[in-house]
Amino acid sequence: MSETDLAVIKPEMMKPYVWLQTSDDSIQQVEQEIAMFCPLICQEIIQKGMGSSKNCAICLPQQVSPAMLSLILDYCRFHQVPGRSNKERKSYDEKFVRIDTERLCELTSAADSLQLKPLVDLTSRALARIIEGKTPEEIRDIFHLPDDLTEEEKLEPLRNITADPRIRLLNRLYAKKRKELKERERLKNVEVEEEHVDDRSVDDLLSFINGNDGDPKGVKTSKNKKKNRRKKEQQKNSSLKEASEVNKKEVNGHDIRHQSSEAEIISETSYLHYAEDDAFTSKPEFDDGDIDDEIDPALKEKIDREVEDFARRLNSDWPERMQELLSSGLDLEWNMEMNPSQRLQQF
Amino acid sequence: MVDVMGPDLISDLPQSIIESILVQLPIRDAVRTSILSSKWRYKWALITQLVFDDKCVPFSNDREVVEMSVVKFITRVLFLHQGPIHKFQITNSKLQSCPEIDQWILFLSRNDIKELVMELGEGEFFRIPSSLFNCRKLTRLELSRCELDPPHSFKGFVCLRSLNLHQVLISPDAVESLISRCPLLESLSLSYFDNLALTISAPNLKYLYLEGEFKDICLEDTPLLVEISIAMYMTDDIAEHFEQSSNCNFLKFLGGVPNLEKLVGLIYFTKYLSIGIDSVHLPIMYHNLETIELYQVNFEDTKEIFVILRMITSSPNLKELQISGSSNIPVAVDAPDLDFWEKGCLLDSALNKLKTMKLSEMGGWPHEIEFIKYLLCRSPVLETLSIIPCVFDMENNLKMLIELVKCRRASSRAEVIFIHE
Repeated sequence: MSETDLAVIKPEMMKPYVWLQTSDDSIQQVEQEIAMFCPLICQEIIQKGMGSSKNCAICLPQQVSPAMLSLILDYCRFHQVPGRSNKERKSYDEKFVRIDTERLCELTSAADSLQLKPLVDLTSRALARIIEGKTPEEIRDIFHLPDDLTEEEKLEPLRNITADPRIRLLNRLYAKKRKELKERERLKNVEVEEEHVDDRSVDDLLSFINGNDGDPKGVKTSKNKKKNRRKKEQQKNSSLKEASEVNKKEVNGHDIRHQSSEAEIISETSYLHYAEDDAFTSKPEFDDGDIDDEIDPALKEKIDREVEDFARRLNSDWPERMQELLSSGLDLEWNMEMNPSQRLQQF
Repeated sequence: MVDVMGPDLISDLPQSIIESILVQLPIRDAVRTSILSSKWRYKWALITQLVFDDKCVPFSNDREVVEMSVVKFITRVLFLHQGPIHKFQITNSKLQSCPEIDQWILFLSRNDIKELVMELGEGEFFRIPSSLFNCRKLTRLELSRCELDPPHSFKGFVCLRSLNLHQVLISPDAVESLISRCPLLESLSLSYFDNLALTISAPNLKYLYLEGEFKDICLEDTPLLVEISIAMYMTDDIAEHFEQSSNCNFLKFLGGVPNLEKLVGLIYFTKYLSIGIDSVHLPIMYHNLETIELYQVNFEDTKEIFVILRMITSSPNLKELQISGSSNIPVAVDAPDLDFWEKGCLLDSALNKLKTMKLSEMGGWPHEIEFIKYLLCRSPVLETLSIIPCVFDMENNLKMLIELVKCRRASSRAEVIFIHE
């Protein structure tokens, strides 16, 4: 800033009031000392010399309505007094955030736009306290969130963007188990259902594990070879897709999901595992006791053990196992004639 | 079905606010928000702070079960997470050394980790993998019950500001070189170290906290130190070392800290400083020193008293003094050397800023009483003197009270509060 600028600004800074324009275009006169507590306003005054008169009123961001401004100024007015004890400030803060949720959200937004970090932290903490410990229905109710995830989506695993082959292997096993349990269910039903498209791709991916074990469709060698080839392609595709998704850095849930339903099926299936004590897991996860009613417990146990055993082995001797796996050609050369337990014993 | 609820209050707030909210939730609640609506599906995955404490998985009495579910939970969260992770904290007493932790640290080292706090449960010490030393952006490191072995090629953490090692197995050379290779280090805390002779060279260091069996502490290059807290434990080894030492510890320790504002010394600290105290000739002034707290002072040892007086003399702006006696001393057989107090040259100037004095574990010994008298005469603005006697000896307490009542006071406002259970 040049000397003349400084000379111009200095007398302005002496003035006790600044003019602020809120989102509804109304202009208010506010004590300068208090308004300066907000970094954005401070910046406008010092760097741009605004706010000294009605004509050059500082235009506040559109998140700041007159009501919000009044609240924020109350906050600033209290806290900018240096003599207050920490206890006093805390107690004021507690009372300050006892407002209805809608205003609390508006206030957070307004404080954020003015870069008033202490107030943002305070209001966020209040909002966090509102969210904590509540069921999703309650939270949706409070914040008017649309319940726009389908039942399936809620239970569908979130996309796993890792390319770690070990985790993918484990995921495949989990998915295979889930599929087998579904198969059991279907066997109990009299009607023969149509094959879903989804199942088909799961089939393709898992055929090399599945083999002959309990597969009602009857696996033939030629069919396996076809599946194997298709599966190879699928694998390539999905890993390519995964790679491209990582590059895209697209965070929007919709887009990612639509692009690769196959990748989702390979992906982390047990994300809800740690949430299984929650009320809102309506459809049973494969580990839940509910689904066991209809399945032969002995067989289920056997599958359980296989999976756990496999997981444990992987966990404990990962480096050596990976060497073995990679050298034996994990994806391509699994013996189709072996059943799952035999295959597992390879390790 | 259309909801007639009203506009969505929260989903369209900027991610920085959402992060601010989610980070103040326990990690489980934060992850559960993925179920709220389609917009919320991945909001949690972008938060930059992950804190896993004892409550992050459901409680169970079986430690192994809990450990397994903690490991699973953390692994899944990490794999589903997107974007940088600036803070990662595990303070879980059920989690012990396990191979997954290596992979987590490797993962974090690739994700711009800035603050790492690991406090595992009692049990086998976890050996920190070398990938930790690749975390170039680390600003805060806090480890508990681990083994740390920096590679020879390690050039230090250039951004590290805060280092806290508690019960960490690390060679003394490695500690010293770690400290000296972190140029921005401001806060250092080392606790439960055995038999360590430490030289600290940290030009930006402001806060120092040491607790353990230290043979020797030399503050070689710490001009900016503002707050020091030392607790020195004793072993036979160290006691021998003390006896044979010919250093002046007072100078070695407090010689280069002109900006000191607060000093706290516990257990054998005063004894440590008393070694070689006679050879301190020139006073070093601590103009900013406002608070001195010394615990477990042996009033039978005139050298230790001398240390205190020396410190007080050098601190013209001292406001608060807290001294705690040692209830551990055997009753003196010889008559105490009260000539010490007659010497007069000890403290000429008054303590013009001393407002609060608190003396605890006072056994009513002659030296203690002289000490109190001595200070009372020289603190013109003293407001409160609290005395908490040692509970064992009632007779001595009474004697002490009688003597105190007789004391001359320089400050007319001084309140002498005798706290008696």
